[in-house]
Amino acid sequence: MADAKKPLSGIRILELGPYVALPMTGRILASMGAEVIKVETNKVLDEMNFIPAWSRGGGQPEFQRAKKRVTIDVRTAGGLEVFKELVKVSDVFMTNFRRNILDRWGIDFPELRRVRPDIILMWQTGLGGIGPYYTYKSYGILVQHMGGVSLMSGEEGEPPATINSSYSDYHTGVFQPVAIMGALMRRRLTGQPATMESSIFKSGAVTAGPAVLDYQSTGRMPPRIGNRDPFAAPHGVYRCQGDDRWCAIAVKTDDQWLAFCQAVGSPDWCSEDAFASLESRLANQDRLDELVGQWTADKTAEEVMVRLQEAGVPASLVSQGKDLYEGEHLKSRDFFRTTPFYLADRARPAWEWEGGEGIASATPPKMSESPLDFGHYSNVGGDNDYVFKEILGMSQKEMDRLTENQSLF
Amino acid sequence: MPFQAPADGVLLPPYRILDLTGPEGVYCGKLLADYGADVVKIEPPGGDAARQRPPFIGDQPGPERSSYFLFYNTNKKSVTLDLESPQGQDLFKKMTATADVVIESFSVGYMKSLGLDFDSLKTANPGLVMASITPFGQTGPWKDYKSSDLISLAASGFMQITGDPDGPPMRQGNEQSHFPGAQHAAAAIMAALFYRDMQDGGGQHIDVSMQEAMITYYTDAHPALAWMQRGENVTRVGPHSTLVIPLGVYPSSDGWISAGIITPREWENLSQWMYEVTGNEEILNDDYKGGNQDRAPYNDFITALVIDFTTRFTSEELFHQGQERNLVFIPVNSVSDLLSDPQLEASNFWFEMDHTEAGTLKYPLGVFDSEEFSPVTRPAPHLGQDNEAIFGGELSLSESELASLRSQGAI
Repeated sequence: MADAKKPLSGIRILELGPYVALPMTGRILASMGAEVIKVETNKVLDEMNFIPAWSRGGGQPEFQRAKKRVTIDVRTAGGLEVFKELVKVSDVFMTNFRRNILDRWGIDFPELRRVRPDIILMWQTGLGGIGPYYTYKSYGILVQHMGGVSLMSGEEGEPPATINSSYSDYHTGVFQPVAIMGALMRRRLTGQPATMESSIFKSGAVTAGPAVLDYQSTGRMPPRIGNRDPFAAPHGVYRCQGDDRWCAIAVKTDDQWLAFCQAVGSPDWCSEDAFASLESRLANQDRLDELVGQWTADKTAEEVMVRLQEAGVPASLVSQGKDLYEGEHLKSRDFFRTTPFYLADRARPAWEWEGGEGIASATPPKMSESPLDFGHYSNVGGDNDYVFKEILGMSQKEMDRLTENQSLF
Repeated sequence: MPFQAPADGVLLPPYRILDLTGPEGVYCGKLLADYGADVVKIEPPGGDAARQRPPFIGDQPGPERSSYFLFYNTNKKSVTLDLESPQGQDLFKKMTATADVVIESFSVGYMKSLGLDFDSLKTANPGLVMASITPFGQTGPWKDYKSSDLISLAASGFMQITGDPDGPPMRQGNEQSHFPGAQHAAAAIMAALFYRDMQDGGGQHIDVSMQEAMITYYTDAHPALAWMQRGENVTRVGPHSTLVIPLGVYPSSDGWISAGIITPREWENLSQWMYEVTGNEEILNDDYKGGNQDRAPYNDFITALVIDFTTRFTSEELFHQGQERNLVFIPVNSVSDLLSDPQLEASNFWFEMDHTEAGTLKYPLGVFDSEEFSPVTRPAPHLGQDNEAIFGGELSLSESELASLRSQGAI
């Protein structure tokens, strides 16, 4: 390979499992140069293909790109055998299937370790691998509500201000690469393998923050204060011109308050005693919010942001898809990049799917010496030839046989 | 620094990491320290501003009693050093000459103004890894924009999809914008150390934009893609999804319960259960069967029936009985629920640590579990507690040099 060396060059990772957190981990490790082999089957497609917010499968390059994608039905005898051959030549195996299911398939961890004694095992669960809920089925988008943060969001007495996504999946997805790289280093230095178990529940709950200490110390629950903040005022989102357009403003210090007053044209209310200190601004923030809202109402969110930022006041429009996609800042950082994708179809095998062109976000950290790869996006099973023939040395005849009997399908 | 094995029962090698971060990056050093890195928090002589941040343990203010500081600085050491004084800069340079990593979250250009940017520091230590965690990254038209948790939540678009469609975009609680950048930085730091120590590479600089990190934390909603492909701005849906029916947070008889029907089979199970409980046959109608998006036209009707169903049970009943029917109901936990959760209790999640001023408290350190290693369990440091060991011991400053630095306010 002519490619420059990458952080994880020479590391092979076997990934088995759908959804968000696990595929995200694989994609990050792949962007760091690991050879990540993603095992899927046409028989049970990842439901993430069918999120209807975009064209079917349009979001999959976020999660599956830069990987080698193969189709193996591990529930078949032939598939299981091929899968174990891959375990033999892998440094890491990671999965998010529940223990009872892995047992049923005959890929329980003692068996995998027998096949490859020094393998690093990362087992990602929803609720936990041991303990009373270990067989429980879960989804990341729901488990985020177990972590405590939902009841710190929104206004007192209202339903939790839920996010139309599953952020604690991402906590897990981005944390796991740290643990896996650590375990690989540790294996090199000590010769010891490792078995790790993470959960969406735990990676959400570790971010519950200082409220867990405060509760133990004072018995107090974290207050739900909506968009307000105990250390800043004005602090919130203010309606601007246009449909559902808002600008967030956060005035933390007295200097920022003075700069804010100047930027809004020094109206009389700015010099009122009621707003002279942070303490008084906090005490009078209902009225303050109303006055700020009157100032923003006839301006665009972008105008408000630029005017305030030029004065040194923290402010940002509440970005919508259009702003993110077309905005100059992210463009200048080459954040969204074009990528092919395939229109997923339950009725047909993946090789018959039509192609399309979409976008995916770059893996955020910009590393000066070993830049993270964006990577090529393969379709489901798109790397069968490479993995089965070149890595495992399988003949075409054998591959055909195992494909026909549905083992490699 | 030599590539050194982790201690027994610990995951990470004892990498020396100098942590200069504020709230934007404080979690990054914590994560690495909790798993074995040797993280030294560098505080101004008066102490990190977070030490003054309420609430305080027992509501008694004090620099060792901030619950925020105690939470985010577990397993770190502390030295005091004035980065803006020549003596402080000199000390910092000496420390970086033998360090593995520097993490900072200052405004873009601040470290350079002190002569402490990556290019200046790497000459004495070509293997140095430096990570900068900033709201908008080191380059681009917004790089100097001022930010805060709220501003990052807004700029990333996170707020656009949080809250009720009829109300304003909402802030997620607990300063959630401070996690994605910090976690991506931790992963990139590990990759850079891997590159250096496992692949014979050199040091490098890592530029983390919190805005970009935040955007990657909700790629299942992917507003940029929805705009590009359909000209549609993804927005707030309130407590119930409009894409996956039913999915969201519903009232139970004693709080809130979240539920989601993802597969066709789950809908069969739920509709059958709803029918058994409510006696309403309409829910078994063939029109509602199929994939989760097939019910979108009937969202309001189905949601009303789901609420009629969930309010007949406690959250715990739905959680456990749902599992018996292969259905996912998940309770919406409070902080007190977490502290008494039997699953967390059983899986090495909470670790009791004794801090001389804060007393013994449970800290959540077990982000993952392993039989081979555990988190390290040292509470947050007292201000400057490691000055002697690091300045006197490692840098071999004499007692009189230390005294003179102290009197000049440099440490």
